[in-house]
Amino acid sequence: MSVIANLCKHQQFKRTLAEYRSNLYRIAYSWCHNPALADDLVQETMAKALKNSNQLRDPKTLKAWLYRILSNCWRDHFRRSRDTVDIDDVVLVEHDTPDVRHDRQQVIQRVRAAITLLPMGQRQVITLVDLEGCSYIEVAQILEIPIGTVMSRLSRARKALKERLLEAEVHGDSNVCQLRTAT
Amino acid sequence: MSTNHISDDRLNAFVDDQLDASEKSEIFEAMDTDSSISQRACELRQLGELVRHAYDRPPQSERLRKQKARSIHPFGRAAAATLLVGLGATLGWIGHQQPDATTPMQSGNMNAMFLSDDDRAFHSGDLSTVTNENQLKRVIVHLNTSNEAKFEKALATAEQLLSTYADESHGAEIELVANASAVKMLRSGHTPYAQRIRALQEKYFNLTFLACKDAMDHVREMENLDGALEMLPDVEVTPSALEHILNRMNEGWVYLNV
Repeated sequence: MSVIANLCKHQQFKRTLAEYRSNLYRIAYSWCHNPALADDLVQETMAKALKNSNQLRDPKTLKAWLYRILSNCWRDHFRRSRDTVDIDDVVLVEHDTPDVRHDRQQVIQRVRAAITLLPMGQRQVITLVDLEGCSYIEVAQILEIPIGTVMSRLSRARKALKERLLEAEVHGDSNVCQLRTAT
Repeated sequence: MSTNHISDDRLNAFVDDQLDASEKSEIFEAMDTDSSISQRACELRQLGELVRHAYDRPPQSERLRKQKARSIHPFGRAAAATLLVGLGATLGWIGHQQPDATTPMQSGNMNAMFLSDDDRAFHSGDLSTVTNENQLKRVIVHLNTSNEAKFEKALATAEQLLSTYADESHGAEIELVANASAVKMLRSGHTPYAQRIRALQEKYFNLTFLACKDAMDHVREMENLDGALEMLPDVEVTPSALEHILNRMNEGWVYLNV
């Protein structure tokens, strides 16, 4: 009976995990800007979550728990590829930004380009807050950093985005062109 | 009052709803006396909107999407088959409710289904409405029986669609996929529609006939044949009709079960 109960529980957990897949993918993509890598990270996250499901004590913390696994997977990926670089200081430059063809796409590409220019630590904080609506405490738990660091990274990230996006609009297209050249 | 009165950290926390009631009140009071604080808060909200907009629909990995479709687990395939059979039955039932349906397009009430990019959910509706409203002009017609009347209906539907979208610039594509006993209708020496199919192939470059290899193998085993089944010229073979259909739907094609 307990075997059946465990199986049911396992299946239920798999279904619950599947519901988070698109959110996890969105965050993973916003961090790495590489669809294939984002898929791999999500896959790895879900596999680890399934394997370690017994470690989740409170189902209410599932979201934060999953994002923490994702963050660790992303960190591990970076460690494998760049042993000596602190992920929090990394600035990735996206080379494969497709040509923009219409306004909506232009806005999307500009914002993604601006996000790409943020150091990874700031990028993780701002995407968790803005895309997933995580509280500062949740972000601190997910990234395993003090809440003060969450707040300062968020402030710096938004300040940078404001300069690159909002003030670029105010000052005309020249800044936008620079931004695109940088990507 | 200086805008520095409210730090960036506090204003961010305000915008992100991370403050308690008394802290919020302080910010509101500061806003009343200094409009630049409201301005800063608006900018922060605007940035949040921009970020959400930028990642609302992240690009999917092409590699993984194809891989996923190819490597559907046997249970997944069974589920897909059940889904399609169920949908086919549902759509067929709905179709039977239409009074005096002569040819599908004449009736104007042929039910079709597609996978919406917006919510990644299946939607169904009248074929012409689905194709027109969603600008979808790639249709996959599924046939799983050797019933001649149904094959006639499938051909008539395909031809009607193709004549509607006759202009090459419309980018219309039609695929007629046969599995189960329907492969007989594309089999050389066994189908009564060889000439009709040839004529359609010559007339419409964007019409493709496909036969399911799983079904062909099954026929080969049942008839104890040594070689492969001989199909009509230019009939393509897909390893699995069901996976092919699911792939196409993932690519935005409209599914039509006859």
